[in-house]
Amino acid sequence: MRVLILTSGVPFTRGGAEILAESLRDAVCAAGHQAEIVTLPFQSCPPSRVPEQMLACRLLDVTESCGMRIDRVIGLKFPAYLVPHPNKVIWMLHQHRTAYEFWDHPAAGDLIHYPDGQVVREAIHRADCTLLPEAKAIYTLSRNVSDRLRRCSGIDAEPLYNPPANALLFHNGPAGDYLFFPSRINSVKRQWLVIQALALCREPVRVYFAGEADNPAQQAECAKAQRELGLTNQVTWLGVVSEEQKCEWYANSLGVVFPPLDEDYGYVTLEAMLSSKPVITCADSGGPLEFVVHQHTGLVADASPQSLAGAMDALWADRRRAAALGEAGRERYLDLKISWENVVDKLLC
Amino acid sequence: MAQNHGLRILIATVRVPFVNGGAEIHAAGLCRALREAGHQAETIAIPFKWYPPERILDQMLACRLLDLSETLGVAVDRLIGLKFPAYLIPHPRKVIWLLHQHRQAYDLWQHPLSDLHPYPNGDDVRAAIHRADRELIPQALRVFANSRNVAGRLQTFCGVQAVPLYHPPQDAARFYARPAEDFLYFPSRINPSKRQDIVLEGLLQTRSQVKVYFSGPADEPAFERKCVALAQKKGCADRVQWLGPVSEEKKRDLYARSLGVLFPPVDEDYGYITLEAMLAHKPVITCTDSGGPLEFVVNRETGLVCEPAPQALAAAMDELWEDRELARRWGEAGRARYSDLRIDWATVLEKLLA
Repeated sequence: MRVLILTSGVPFTRGGAEILAESLRDAVCAAGHQAEIVTLPFQSCPPSRVPEQMLACRLLDVTESCGMRIDRVIGLKFPAYLVPHPNKVIWMLHQHRTAYEFWDHPAAGDLIHYPDGQVVREAIHRADCTLLPEAKAIYTLSRNVSDRLRRCSGIDAEPLYNPPANALLFHNGPAGDYLFFPSRINSVKRQWLVIQALALCREPVRVYFAGEADNPAQQAECAKAQRELGLTNQVTWLGVVSEEQKCEWYANSLGVVFPPLDEDYGYVTLEAMLSSKPVITCADSGGPLEFVVHQHTGLVADASPQSLAGAMDALWADRRRAAALGEAGRERYLDLKISWENVVDKLLC
Repeated sequence: MAQNHGLRILIATVRVPFVNGGAEIHAAGLCRALREAGHQAETIAIPFKWYPPERILDQMLACRLLDLSETLGVAVDRLIGLKFPAYLIPHPRKVIWLLHQHRQAYDLWQHPLSDLHPYPNGDDVRAAIHRADRELIPQALRVFANSRNVAGRLQTFCGVQAVPLYHPPQDAARFYARPAEDFLYFPSRINPSKRQDIVLEGLLQTRSQVKVYFSGPADEPAFERKCVALAQKKGCADRVQWLGPVSEEKKRDLYARSLGVLFPPVDEDYGYITLEAMLAHKPVITCTDSGGPLEFVVNRETGLVCEPAPQALAAAMDELWEDRELARRWGEAGRARYSDLRIDWATVLEKLLA
């Protein structure tokens, strides 16, 4: 089959969605098909630009290339998943979140602050409700995304889990004296919450942050909070690390902190499980909650500095228990039978 | 951390899914050069399908609706537009480096293979393309063209001026020369627009036992059959080799060992083959209607420019074959001319980012 993977992207930004698209392409090719990724640029501000880009997607024609049929289109992200095709399957990473669950969120909301935000929000809802069912089948990244889609758009979709990139590289190592938090740095991943929690820890907990800030302002905010709270030794910014380095940081950590706000899926959780490390996450973190079992493979805290500090202190103070939770996480990963073969079978059937 | 060394630059082009050619090599080369110069660069490739004609209008509109002025609140410093209709994407700091316009609406309008002209709405769509190019191309800060040939077409059809800006072929530094052996080399896709057929017909008319090696993938079965039939004619068979697709390494080896290079296409936009021959110190035989190559081949100084006819090509091939010293001298002069023209990525970036 000739398969086109359609996604939207913000230029110069690379995160889980980009890695997922590339992994999917490689998995489709490995199954003996031809696959390519089409990434359409997406700019969500000001809101008036959103309907224009929805229209742009509807105007594209990916039914054929040079007279040869494109057999299957797999849509991943809004608005690229709106591009029409007679054999489209959607594997939804998420809808346009600030029109849905982040609409009135104090930190993440953006549409709501514009005079035309409500109108654009309705246009997005209408497009999703009307056009998503054009697809032959709809899958989602996680139970969390499926739940939102049913709640907000009344559409049922089956979750389809995928392994993180380079899943085989992850391994366990001797637990060192730090918790690890690898992620893009932005307000939704909540590095700021961890910094606030560190100021309340009783144990001498240290956190290593890896990853790039979405923009310089986000990085500056985190650095400012760190300075103001006087956290010189407890916080280390590793910046961008290679995949190999990342695996080593996982392997040698005591545990992983991953408290994002309503994450769609979250490779970090799975990578931690593959590295036999316990995961600290929050009750409102979304995707990670499908994998982290409280007190069995990690700890689920409330999304407050106090509660998070308590969880970090608990891991720090009982290293043997941390190791046991990590081992249980690794077992749980294996039980879930997450594989690309399964994903490709479903998306191409 | 966003370490903002250099500029944030987007390259806007189009892509026909599953098709790779010169335009993809060009965009990738530019992207690599920008990154090596310390900029952040990415390529935006909009899928393009040009039939039926009304789809072209939809895609022109789609491009106009995109917004690449900033990403997550940080300005995009420069947009470099390469291909229609992606170069229509608006941007306050856009530079166009035109690879070519939609040729079927211009110089190839009446071409037998055109799939715009025969449609009932072909005329209207052609007019819309002309209008868009005339009005929107000049909105760019600066307009460059891949070659003088492409700039000339833009001037003729749209009255818009563009500065020719040459760039090096892929892996330019890896070409080299060896002593000439007994063959002329014709590396190119086997395609009617490249005219392998008139070279084969020319071979039947040479005085000397000139040999030609052809390499490259065949993308039109009927034309390939025609060429193979010509090559099997009496007097030709033992003088022609069909090598098919060859690796880049093998191609450079064939250039290096050849006596000279044949490249007689119809109105080529630019033509990496001319430049590769010059890098390999070889003279080039091309034709008076070949377009791009004529900007580089100086007749009787770095090669031969002849009429696009078998007889004229036969005479040119004989001349190189019979005077090896002349062929060697012209090849050396071609290499010197390449250096004089300053065809390198540093020069390209200097112009594009000025």
